[in-house]
Amino acid sequence: MEMKLITLKVNGRKHQLALPPNITLLRVLREHLNYVDVKNGCEKGDCGACTVLVNGKAVNSCLMLAWQADGADILTDTGLGTSQNPHPIQSAFAEAGAAQCGYCTPGMIMAAKALLDVNPHPNEAVIREAISGNLCRCTGYGQIVRAIQMAADRMEAEKAAPGGEA
Amino acid sequence: MKIQAKPLPPVQLPELRQVGKPVRRVDAMGKAVGTTRYAADMFMPNMLHTKVFRSRVPFARIRHLDVSKAASLPGVVCVLTAADLPTSVLVTDMPGQTGQQRRKGSDAHVLASDVVRFVGDPIALVAAETLAIAEQALELIEIDYEELPAVFDPLEAMKPGAPVIAAPDNIVARWKMRKGCTKTGMEAADLIVENTFNVPFVDHAYLEPEAGLAWLDDRDVLNIRVCTQVVEHFRSIALALGIPHNKLHIQGTMVGGGFGGKEDITVEIFIGLLALKTRRPVLMEYTREESIQAHSKRHPFVITHRTGVTYDGRITAAEIKMVANSGAYVYLSPYVLLYATGAATGPYRIDNVLIESVAVATNNPFTSAFRGFGVPQAAAAHEQQMDEIAKRLNMDPYELRVKNFLKTGDYSANQKITTAAWLEETASRVVEALGDKTPAQGPIKVGQGFASYMQSYGRITWFHDTSQAWVGLEMDGTVVVRSGIPDLGAGQISAVCQIASEVLGVPMENVVVYNTDSALTPLSGTTTATRQLYMSGNAVYMAANTVRGVLLDRASKHFEEPVENLDIANSCVFVKSESDQWISLPELAAKCAAEGMHLANLALFKAPFTSPIDPETGQGQIWPDFTFGAHGVEVAVDTETGEITLLKSVACHDVGRAVNPAAVEGQIEGGAVQGLGYALMEDVIVENGIIKTPSLSEYLIPTAVDVPKTKVIILESGTGLGPFGAKGIGEPSLTPAAPAVANAVANAIGARIYSLPLTPEKVLEAVARAKDPQDNATQ
Amino acid sequence: MLAEFDLLMPATLDEALSALAENGPGTALLAGGTNLVVDMRSGRHRPRVVINLDRLEELRGIRCQDGYVTIGSGVTVGELLENRDIHQYAHALCQSALLFANPLIRNRATVGGNLADASPAADTVPPLMIMDGEVQLASRDGGFHWVPLDSFITGVRKTIRRPDEVITSIRFPVPPAGSDTAYYKLGLRKADAISVVSAAVRIDRTEDGTVGRVRIALGSVAPRPMRAYAGEQALLGKRLDPESIGEAARLASEAVSPISDLRGSANYRRQMACVLVSRLLHQISSRTAGQPNEE
Repeated sequence: MEMKLITLKVNGRKHQLALPPNITLLRVLREHLNYVDVKNGCEKGDCGACTVLVNGKAVNSCLMLAWQADGADILTDTGLGTSQNPHPIQSAFAEAGAAQCGYCTPGMIMAAKALLDVNPHPNEAVIREAISGNLCRCTGYGQIVRAIQMAADRMEAEKAAPGGEA
Repeated sequence: MKIQAKPLPPVQLPELRQVGKPVRRVDAMGKAVGTTRYAADMFMPNMLHTKVFRSRVPFARIRHLDVSKAASLPGVVCVLTAADLPTSVLVTDMPGQTGQQRRKGSDAHVLASDVVRFVGDPIALVAAETLAIAEQALELIEIDYEELPAVFDPLEAMKPGAPVIAAPDNIVARWKMRKGCTKTGMEAADLIVENTFNVPFVDHAYLEPEAGLAWLDDRDVLNIRVCTQVVEHFRSIALALGIPHNKLHIQGTMVGGGFGGKEDITVEIFIGLLALKTRRPVLMEYTREESIQAHSKRHPFVITHRTGVTYDGRITAAEIKMVANSGAYVYLSPYVLLYATGAATGPYRIDNVLIESVAVATNNPFTSAFRGFGVPQAAAAHEQQMDEIAKRLNMDPYELRVKNFLKTGDYSANQKITTAAWLEETASRVVEALGDKTPAQGPIKVGQGFASYMQSYGRITWFHDTSQAWVGLEMDGTVVVRSGIPDLGAGQISAVCQIASEVLGVPMENVVVYNTDSALTPLSGTTTATRQLYMSGNAVYMAANTVRGVLLDRASKHFEEPVENLDIANSCVFVKSESDQWISLPELAAKCAAEGMHLANLALFKAPFTSPIDPETGQGQIWPDFTFGAHGVEVAVDTETGEITLLKSVACHDVGRAVNPAAVEGQIEGGAVQGLGYALMEDVIVENGIIKTPSLSEYLIPTAVDVPKTKVIILESGTGLGPFGAKGIGEPSLTPAAPAVANAVANAIGARIYSLPLTPEKVLEAVARAKDPQDNATQ
Repeated sequence: MLAEFDLLMPATLDEALSALAENGPGTALLAGGTNLVVDMRSGRHRPRVVINLDRLEELRGIRCQDGYVTIGSGVTVGELLENRDIHQYAHALCQSALLFANPLIRNRATVGGNLADASPAADTVPPLMIMDGEVQLASRDGGFHWVPLDSFITGVRKTIRRPDEVITSIRFPVPPAGSDTAYYKLGLRKADAISVVSAAVRIDRTEDGTVGRVRIALGSVAPRPMRAYAGEQALLGKRLDPESIGEAARLASEAVSPISDLRGSANYRRQMACVLVSRLLHQISSRTAGQPNEE
């Protein structure tokens, strides 16, 4: 098998690595680049735990070959914020009790980010639809929905505030 | 008739500073920003990758096993079979946790040497430089089976002449509970109602598949970093590895969901063996398919109720038979069966009871603990039976229950209820919150239903359960808690932190819990049986209070005030009546240290210690206490397609005291959705021993669009045995949800489906029955 | 883990077609990977060579011109949902796209991939069949040609696509004003579910209110998605009323040949074919304003 030099920009950081064709983006992120916040729950697109943003779109990283992501802009949960400086979605999840075991959380947050990027005012039905590819076994989804609503409100408020993005 | 919430008795719960507040959990931020490292998220240099070679047949003798080709594949470092093991004993019973003798016949094998009893039974282990090589090695293992006639139906397995999976007769456990005289009770009844209910295999489907990392350190201590619900397994793991207990160091990680599926030993012995053999770090990660195949399932049950009742709705007698499918190995079947037996009659006062239950071995995936531990199965039957009785009596289901609900001081099937039993209070609130029925439309019929339950918290009392915790004050006023407590995501660690914070008057940010370590933290017992808040909460409470006592004693001398006039808040000890009289904890700690006073405490909390029940009658205390509650749903049933849509979901539980109301709400909604899934879509379909639902696209659990928001009503009676009067809620939240759905569907279509899950096809078949009055008699 | 294979990353369609012609049978085409990567992981497909199509601009885009709506085979199911022409002209396809797996899968799964996989449950197929969809195939040596979607899928996971061909486009004629479609997907869960039965129905009414053109397509009730021709015939020239609808639905359900599997029995599927066709026809019947109410 041919090895190819692939460029992956992950969370703003450029990585260049030689990879064979038969490896998925999920495995490269976790095993070669140590982005272990991207989780493996099923490795066949059923659970959404591996969700990352690729050029802004939320996808299952387990279904993308790494070579297909060559040159792409990839965003994972750890790229959104830190405990010292969390993204509004992350702090909303933390405050609303939306993370119980936390295993679905990074993928869920990325799906939420993708939603709020295109729809800043989603109602409950739209939120549930947007996360319908992210299974959660612990929370029953109620506090996750609330967290996403809280995040939407805060992100809107930040934009409207003086010095904000508006 | 419109049901209104029953007024609550006046309960005076003291206002506390941390406890009772919906605080942000201590683990929440790490999980939200993705920095929490789970069992598969830690790698080491020189690490090997591992796979398990498993049986593809349900029942066979291994005639010939040849691993030589696998072992000589370049990159394969080690292949192990049963022949290579010091002892292939896999303890599935609980002694490692309780120090008691394990049940005869309960040992399984680590690796099969002679006989395999289910598809997935482990036979060999491979460690290789890469995962790809390990997978290739599996393909090179040669095995020859002599397939044996298998049996999959427990009713068949009980018959004489059936293939023997568990000697001598496949019956691995039997319980009986008897009180009064059911013969007389039935004679006193105006009506006898008999029904049989079936519930299926269910998978835990936690998002995190099983995983672990093992390595030997410089002192030849074997370290195992693993997601587990039970640190105490280290004793059984050490036994299987042939090493002393004190040379095994289990480091439990934050668990990505357990629900009982990580309550048994999973990967630990496998990676321990490979690490010892190769003397390199080894990583094992189950695939999802392997997880579904290899770990336990919820016991399927066939439950037959025969109930005598008077026309005015009093239950005079109950005869219940239960047959549980234990699968290929015993594991915790005897205890699941006991819990189901104790819960069989439901939260009702019945004087004449006969319950006979049996757990039977079959060549199916083995069954063991799953949230609720036999009680959800029992409740799926007793709550549907109650609604069927109500229907036959032409009585409102709520009214029937109110006439029979247990009250504090009454006896359940086996023991006395000693704390608040807010059955009417919870059921009435659920029914009231459901409100008026959404109008039906065309072929869509709407129904409402609810279910009440009682579920124990705390372990079987003859296990003599204990939990230990250590609490200490640092010189800078921060607090360290050491507890072996495994955190499965329900906020176990955070609760303990909150309690220490409350007792020591220190903000939560200043408390750190060091947790889940067999060598470095006191053993707190299993995270199972809804026991951690009760047991470890109390242990931490005790330890923290001892330290508090030392501090207040010394402060009392400092201020020349009696201890009752002092309090601690915001890391300062102060005189209650004089706010300018205070001393900071670091200052006070310095004084204590200088005088050689001990500012730490290791506490041991004991649950009630009893003796085993009378095997003939089953009478006596089995559990410390119970949680009571109810769940209600409204469903829309499409009577042409059979599809069910959940319109409303309401839960009401008396949790005693909500230490963290946000966490309690999360537990209630999460457990409810698992129960809703149990009712509507979850079914591990096994045919001839082969799982036909091997991944999450065949085994369905609810997505966010399958369930509405569950309205959660938390009641606090303050009567629990846990700290601050708390009861437990982890398992109880699941128990009533499935029968609530079944009752709502029956209410919608006028006929009952007697097995879970309620698939569209079963719904249509029931709709057809409802149209034909002849067919719609009880079975 | 995935078995070893060679992965070719052509930059143009021509390059892709050449590579496909050169490498011969046993070459797999990869777009979104939502089927192929799963199949490679399970070992169901073990191609020696995989050709990546997801960079090919020629396969992207949805155009409405010359009387056709043309969808590039590389268009994702999610992109279908965002397109105004699809919303306007192919309502059933939109509804199907909304229920297709889940939003993450929709961001990668392509229309071409769904067709090429040719599952009996392929969700985009019944809605495209009712639009008289056509599939464009291209090869290095054979150029481009169109085939009717109705004959494209020949059996379970079998199509008439030759090993050297790539699906390049899917198109359907812009429907006349007043053309009405409806869709229903029956699954065991409300998202992320494989169809137990799916149905798509289209009615174009003539000026006098009778049925001018009718299409009934069903999924998961036969080895391949199918048209219920007898049911359609029964409605031609008639008005939509409970009698004609009932007859059409009955004929449709007689034409199916479903299997029993873990998701449903053959009997249930047959029953549902009737129920869904009836329901969708009633929906269309009551939807159009000015339609005389025949009850």
